[in-house]
Amino acid sequence: MKLRLNKTVAAVASSALLLMAVPAVGIASASGAASKPTYTIGYEGPLSGGNQQLGLNMVFAVQLAINQANKTGKLPFKLQLKTYDDQGDPTISPTQAQSAVHNKSLVAMVGPAFSGATAAAEPYFKAAHLATVSPSATRVSLATSGWNNFFRVVADDGVQGPADANYMVRKLGKTSVYVVNDGTAYGSGVASAFAAQATADHATVSTATVPGTTQCQNGTASATQYSAAATQAVASGAKALFYGGYYCDLGLFLGALKSAGFSGAIMSDDGSLSPALIQGTTPASAANGVYLTCACASSTNKSFNLQYQALAHFSAANATYAPEAYDAANAIINAMKSLKKITRVAIVNALHKLSYKGMTKVIKFQKNGNIAGSAIYVNQVKNGKIVQLGLE
Amino acid sequence: MKSILTHQLFRRFITAAAVLAVVAVMTGPAGSTEAPTAGFTGSFSERSSFFGFFETVRWVPFLFLALVFFGVWTLWLSRGAQIKSGVSQVMQVPRAATQRRPVRWGIGVVLLFVALILPHVINDPFWQAAMVEQIAVYVLLAIGLNVVVGFAGLLDLGFVAFYAIGAYVTAWVTGALPTPPLFGIHMDPFFAIPIAIVIVMVAGIVLGVPTLRLRGDYLAIVTLGFGEIITIFANNLYGITGGSQGTSLIPHFSLHIGPIKYVWGLAPVPYYYLTLVFVVIFLLAFSLLEHSRVGRAWTAIREDEVAAESVGINPLKYKVMAFAIGASTAGFAGVVTASQSNNIFPSSFSLAFSINILVLVIFGGMGSIFGVVLGALLIQTGSMYLLHSPPAGYQSSDLYIYLGALLVVMMIFRPAGLVPSRRRRREIVLSEAGEGHMNEVLTGDQP
Amino acid sequence: MGGFGHYLASHLVTMRKEFWFLFVGGVANGFLYGMVAVGYTLVYGVLRLINFAHSEIFMSGGFAGYFVMKALIGTSSPNGFATVYLIIIGIVAGGVVGAVVATLLERVAYRPLRKRNAPKLAYLISAIGASYFLFNMAGKEFGRYSISVPQPYINHTVFTIFGAPVQLYYIVILIAGVIMLLGLDRVVATTKLGRSIRAVAQDAETASLMGVNIDRTIALTFIVGGALGGAAGFLFGLGTGVVYTMGFTPALKAFTAAVLGGIGNLRGAMIGGLLLGVAESLSVVFVQAAYIDVVAFGILVAVLLFRPTGILGERLGRAA
Repeated sequence: MKLRLNKTVAAVASSALLLMAVPAVGIASASGAASKPTYTIGYEGPLSGGNQQLGLNMVFAVQLAINQANKTGKLPFKLQLKTYDDQGDPTISPTQAQSAVHNKSLVAMVGPAFSGATAAAEPYFKAAHLATVSPSATRVSLATSGWNNFFRVVADDGVQGPADANYMVRKLGKTSVYVVNDGTAYGSGVASAFAAQATADHATVSTATVPGTTQCQNGTASATQYSAAATQAVASGAKALFYGGYYCDLGLFLGALKSAGFSGAIMSDDGSLSPALIQGTTPASAANGVYLTCACASSTNKSFNLQYQALAHFSAANATYAPEAYDAANAIINAMKSLKKITRVAIVNALHKLSYKGMTKVIKFQKNGNIAGSAIYVNQVKNGKIVQLGLE
Repeated sequence: MKSILTHQLFRRFITAAAVLAVVAVMTGPAGSTEAPTAGFTGSFSERSSFFGFFETVRWVPFLFLALVFFGVWTLWLSRGAQIKSGVSQVMQVPRAATQRRPVRWGIGVVLLFVALILPHVINDPFWQAAMVEQIAVYVLLAIGLNVVVGFAGLLDLGFVAFYAIGAYVTAWVTGALPTPPLFGIHMDPFFAIPIAIVIVMVAGIVLGVPTLRLRGDYLAIVTLGFGEIITIFANNLYGITGGSQGTSLIPHFSLHIGPIKYVWGLAPVPYYYLTLVFVVIFLLAFSLLEHSRVGRAWTAIREDEVAAESVGINPLKYKVMAFAIGASTAGFAGVVTASQSNNIFPSSFSLAFSINILVLVIFGGMGSIFGVVLGALLIQTGSMYLLHSPPAGYQSSDLYIYLGALLVVMMIFRPAGLVPSRRRRREIVLSEAGEGHMNEVLTGDQP
Repeated sequence: MGGFGHYLASHLVTMRKEFWFLFVGGVANGFLYGMVAVGYTLVYGVLRLINFAHSEIFMSGGFAGYFVMKALIGTSSPNGFATVYLIIIGIVAGGVVGAVVATLLERVAYRPLRKRNAPKLAYLISAIGASYFLFNMAGKEFGRYSISVPQPYINHTVFTIFGAPVQLYYIVILIAGVIMLLGLDRVVATTKLGRSIRAVAQDAETASLMGVNIDRTIALTFIVGGALGGAAGFLFGLGTGVVYTMGFTPALKAFTAAVLGGIGNLRGAMIGGLLLGVAESLSVVFVQAAYIDVVAFGILVAVLLFRPTGILGERLGRAA
């Protein structure tokens, strides 16, 4: 409810923000030390289309980090933000990447937000030695593709899936699990990692692919399939269900599961971690009790929440990946602080050596760009609200 | 009072205002389910700059435009015929000139020269990348679809399937799929070009033989279904296609001939030239084809299938040929895209893509090669411009609002397209005069 | 062969376990397909063309229902008599908006072409354009995310057939579907409007000589088909929520249903809808849910190739 209302505001606010941010920074630097050089930090992610909210969550956090850095006045440079909208689409992201690479003042990038878009764009960033710090791209193979400029501040799907399985089987004590994936790269990746670990934990596992629907982003199947899929889940006799995929389709599936009389525990991944899940579930009560896990933390930092709300005009509490985007931007800024001469290559090298305490976790990267440590948080829907239960 | 409301001028003005109101909403702000009216009210109440003269609420310039529109329309209705004949008289000279072969060749050479130096004039990498991925490749696809829709008069809504097959064949041949590569070795994408074209043409024949007997509107739906099915299979056959993750291991083109060694890389310009070579080859081939026996057979089938059959033309054979030949450019386009981006994702082979190509053909002029190329250039450059520097109120996800509206507007006002093929224009005029058998023939109705 | 026998046997066991579950869901979907399919069939009758933009009529009915339900229900949970009248209001809202959109569509995308006697290809392209315009416009104005419709009832299992629960939602679809389809059947068979629709479908030229106003008949056909499509959109949205792309797949299935029953044949469209709904639902026993749509397209292509007149045969203009 709240989020949707905010979305309109956010859309208006963001266009205002994107228009005004640059001149505002320009004026500030003119009144301050005129000799300070200005560098640009980029953000690439979905700023229009069906995943717009996710992009907005992040872009405001990046803007906040930049505003705070500029405000201290201690930095030997000024920062500004430039956004690149890829709609989360891997066919658009290479074009945006090339455009970003060409921007001489751009020294590093927060993003790309989505894994597919990252995979498609990264060769261009690598060729330009431009560091990219993604707040949310979790596909395992991104870290193993030999891109030394690739970093991410969240644990990958290879960590999340098994952690979820352990939670489901060991903590919740479910010995038979029906594992469903939505046929997307992301959903099937998490689901298969989950299934492997659950099997290793001696649970009975059966799997099914139920593709995304035209009711949702880029789906091809019909929403009417869920009643049949739910019937099969019930017929399997499993005590629990894991769904690898996104909130929109899960919402449809939850309604059908309730209709079919499924009574076991239901768990899903961070693709489903959105208040829109509850909004899109018919009836909304069918979402109650669902576990949602994420390598991302919801922000409990009061000062961040206040400042974020002031900038974005919506609450940071529901802004998935905003804390990670904030950390990603600050990782870049901290890397820049440590440098005498700021170049793209120098930032990549500095990020490899970086270690500082961010808002969500200690930001220290492994050699392949993955974050050291692997925190997975578990949330649950209670009375129509998503509540963070803690670490898995 | 009543006479005013029903007066022709009044109704004309209301129509003009309604059209402009729709345009205002199209270009206005977006809404949401929470605020469903925000988009509509914002479209009129928001302030905007009136052509840079002064700040005002948006309805003011739109009302002004409606008045201008209304005036021009009224003038056109009273003086239209005179203006038309005047314009056509002025146009007589250049039109006659372009009929002459040397002049046509001259224009072609000049355009080719412009195309050759263009990447050196435009230094912006966004535009250099767009020139390959979004413009040259789309020109190829458009001239291919033109063979099917324009030459043979068959509405194909699943053209993307052939493009997808081309891309997947590239991945297969170069060993980027989970399945073992064709012939067991990882080949260069250059070898994928002939293989992809052959496979795509075979796919066109396999799909075409049973379905091209169908009525035109049924054909449209069946081809649409084919496009969707290809995506579903690409998405779900993990062991063969890599599933929805797609594949990201497709190599770039490379040449190793004796001492010459050249590898196409991330830079878009070499790909631009490579694609340009094939655009020229396909353009020449299709122009020759249009005026060959085959081209004449297509025209005959399009205009009157029964008559064509009675003089010994086998309609099915030529329709299948059109399908297969048209598909070949899509197959090649698939190879270029796959190799250039190194990636393929099943989600990019959507119905919207087929519609996008259809818009290029319809806008440029069905059946007119020059028109279709021009249409592709104009629309793709336009949509890239909108992506690159979106004006206020526009989001790149709004593109299909404009393309959809364009299709309707073209069908109402200029069904033969921007640069109509002369033959096609004559057919439409004949059909509208109720002569010939166009109604049945254009959709392939059996009597 | 033995392998296949085993495959079949094991699936038939599953089939027996789940048959009634799947059957109930399939029948409910079938009614929705049927309601949309009659829209295709009616328009095909009078214009001899597939209304490609029918999916957007369905979508607009869904949104109309959503906004009305939201305004009337809010966060309350109605039951009893309130449920009945809310559902009727929702159906009427969906139907009226569906009819309005259908009328606009006819006026803007079809009539100018008809006046010029344009080739059929032009109608198809114009309709595709209108469809893309409409659903993307809905995405722009109402957001591009799926949203659930406030429920006019508390959905629960009313009774069971052989152990398969039958939801209140399915019963609502069933009752609404039966009433609307029977009503339409009577309207076309007995009223003056029905006669003129049939006359135009049979032979437009002769009908106009006999004093049937063709423009008016075509407009009314769009209104009737649009109203049913819009109402179906509301009922569909009630179960799965609304989103700007919601029309695409159901409309494609409905078209398949119309062809399956015999295009132009009203009863054929209804029966085709039911058959397709059930067939598609039962197919999950044999194939993964991912391939349900492939099954539906397979049925479409098979019908077009082997029995293009459909099960009941094309019946343009004959008594429905």
